[in-house]
Amino acid sequence: MPGSPLAVFLSRLDFAWITTLHILYPPLTIGLACLLFLAEWRWFATDDERWYRLVRFFSQLFIVNFAAGVATGITMEMAFGILYGPFSQAAGPFFGQVLGYETITAFMYEAGFIGLMIFGWGKISKGVHLFATFNVALSSSLSAMWILDANSWMQTPSGIELRDGYFHVTDWVAAILNSDVFLGYPHMQVAAIELALCFVIAVSAWFVLCRRHVALFRVSLQYAVLALVVIAPLQVYLGDGLGLIVAQDQPAALAAMEGHYHTYNPDGSVDTSWKVVGWPNAAGDDMAWSISIPHFLSVLETHTWNGKVTGLDAFPPENRPPVLVPFYAFRVMAAAGGVLVLFALWGAWIMLRRRLSDDALASKRLFLWAAILCGFLPYISVWCGWWVREVGRQPWLVYGLMRTEQGVSRMSVTSAALWLLGYMYFELIVWGSTWYFFGKTMRRGPDLDSPVEHGGTQQLGELEPRRGDAPSYVRPI
Amino acid sequence: MEGLTHAQAVVTFAWWIALDLSVLLYILLDGADLGAGIFSLFVRNPNERAAIMSAMAGTWDANETWLIVGGGVLFGTFPFVYGSTFNYLMMPLALALWGMITRALALEFRHLAETPWQRFSDLCFGFSSLTVAFFGGMAVGAILQGFPLTNVPGTVPTYVGGSFRFISLFSIWTGIAAVLAVTLAGLLFIRARFEVGEPIREHAARWTDTIFYLGLGAVAITVVVNAAIFRWASQKWFGPHFWIWGIVLLAVIFAAFKMRMATRQDRDLMAILWFNAAVAIMAGAMMATVYPWIVPHTWTIYTGASPAVSLFTFTLAMGGFFPVMLMYNAYQLWVFRARISALAAYH
Repeated sequence: MPGSPLAVFLSRLDFAWITTLHILYPPLTIGLACLLFLAEWRWFATDDERWYRLVRFFSQLFIVNFAAGVATGITMEMAFGILYGPFSQAAGPFFGQVLGYETITAFMYEAGFIGLMIFGWGKISKGVHLFATFNVALSSSLSAMWILDANSWMQTPSGIELRDGYFHVTDWVAAILNSDVFLGYPHMQVAAIELALCFVIAVSAWFVLCRRHVALFRVSLQYAVLALVVIAPLQVYLGDGLGLIVAQDQPAALAAMEGHYHTYNPDGSVDTSWKVVGWPNAAGDDMAWSISIPHFLSVLETHTWNGKVTGLDAFPPENRPPVLVPFYAFRVMAAAGGVLVLFALWGAWIMLRRRLSDDALASKRLFLWAAILCGFLPYISVWCGWWVREVGRQPWLVYGLMRTEQGVSRMSVTSAALWLLGYMYFELIVWGSTWYFFGKTMRRGPDLDSPVEHGGTQQLGELEPRRGDAPSYVRPI
Repeated sequence: MEGLTHAQAVVTFAWWIALDLSVLLYILLDGADLGAGIFSLFVRNPNERAAIMSAMAGTWDANETWLIVGGGVLFGTFPFVYGSTFNYLMMPLALALWGMITRALALEFRHLAETPWQRFSDLCFGFSSLTVAFFGGMAVGAILQGFPLTNVPGTVPTYVGGSFRFISLFSIWTGIAAVLAVTLAGLLFIRARFEVGEPIREHAARWTDTIFYLGLGAVAITVVVNAAIFRWASQKWFGPHFWIWGIVLLAVIFAAFKMRMATRQDRDLMAILWFNAAVAIMAGAMMATVYPWIVPHTWTIYTGASPAVSLFTFTLAMGGFFPVMLMYNAYQLWVFRARISALAAYH
């Protein structure tokens, strides 16, 4: 039955699946592009060959990740219309416009320069290549900004008016500068950089651990760990700020994140306890059991000892988000963020304490294993963060204005299930091949033998063949 | 829905042109890549198949992004059309998307794969190119047929007609015609991208004749069928301005003839440009025929447009970003213009 609760739930799962399997790739593209630019700039400025080799090596990993991001990203643009047709129509005047900007100012811009960045070595000058890398970093960051703006507007819609079944934009500035985007975008941008740093740390640590090219990879390891000392605490700070915005604008989402069912205790006093872990009861109106810390919730959300935090019971049951996913996803994300701060401090302690020989660094096996494991944490955090955001907004599609069941396409259960199965299959293949080729590129290791491409135009050809001429040289690309 | 102001109607019209241009650029640029992929199914030498992929390695994703730009403009300016049409076209679009994903993976990952898997990757590349072309063509045919919308006061009209309504003899035919057209584009692309004297270039040259005449026949059949089954087409073509359509027809024939001459003389770039001119004229004529509909008898460009369209955003996009995009797209094609040989497979 189209429009039945099962069809709606399947549509949600469909979209959750494709977004979850897409968000694996763009953060690395964004963050690594920034890091590649910095590294290439170091090469440009100092002519130190190590930076060049690092750039060429990480570019190979970058392009594997980029291809997977494009493949899963094209799906997203079409999926809005296919799975959420009525939402696309209703929100189109704002939401579609913003995604259109993303397409034009970011996606297209990025695709143009990425070809030059990856395949342009030896065909364009060093300066133009650096410029291309810069543009890839800038355009992918712009892309994140527009996407987060569109999503933030769904969280805190402003500048619009719902009339005749769709959203009229009454104030563009207010709609684009909605309250959630001010921290939503920086939180995502910094997450991308943090994820890329951890990726570089994990890859470099693996090489050092295997004692392959230690002199080369200790450079990337050291710089990335030191950058993480700044980035990881910054991310915790931004996340805390975003939590306050959620508390203010989406109290129901915050209550779900904290598993806070009742504003008041049975005796009439304010419930101030923060639940570390817990499990909702069968009726879904309270925790069946939980471990809590008194007063901590009020301190966190209101910065006072006994401040009142609105519980889920302040909202009618049909307007309450599910608790389990936001509650645990939020805890996992926050914990991962904290672990990364500690890891960065540990790394900085090792790096800065005294000058380490290559050999001494390679024998710090515990640290190197920890570094490799830390490569996975940001991925888990990014997933959890998005699950908190999207499940916490339920049952709304546009918070407080349009419910999810109003926005989904009228698909039969069969269609929705077929779509889900088809894309589960495809995106798992994408994911699997990405892993496989990451592994393969790493086993092959960096190319330290080919001559450094100092740029130039020697490898360009003729548009029209010269008559009677045999090719003067064979040009492998 | 309230109407647009006069200024907005003008901007909407301009956006519609921009949308058509993006889709046309996609068809011209990526069509050649898709066609080369279809042709690779008939190439026996694995190094030559790899070289076909190398020939588009630096440009294919920039070419595909014109489709994304088209989608972005459609969502941004014509959200009512986007939301209902994509719902109607769920099946062909999903299949074309699967094709695109598979193709992207085959392109990027082939040179990393082990030899036995390269054969598999080549097959994926060829069949996914075929899938994208066929279902893309089918989607165009299905759009030309139009679809019913809901009519509930106070809501935006949307599509509730199920996932299989798009299938018809006509849409299957447009799928086949699209495959023929992109194959021709791919052959011209391969001729222009390989060193003179490469066996694969000779192979493509042998194919060009047959596919050229098949393609010409497909266009003729499509035009006749259009005139026969669609009132909006026959009314315009045989109306008082029939002579304009006659001139258009002559222009297409002229461009096709010049293309044929250029291929005979081995002037590969000219052949591509004349082919593109023929496709551009036909696409423009089709848009003019459908106007003011964007989906015949379903949405006009004015009822489908977002009431938020404004001159400001249009100027920003068209005056600022489109020219820049065109410039670096062209620069990129220029940088990667070098002809290659099958040896390029060993990179």
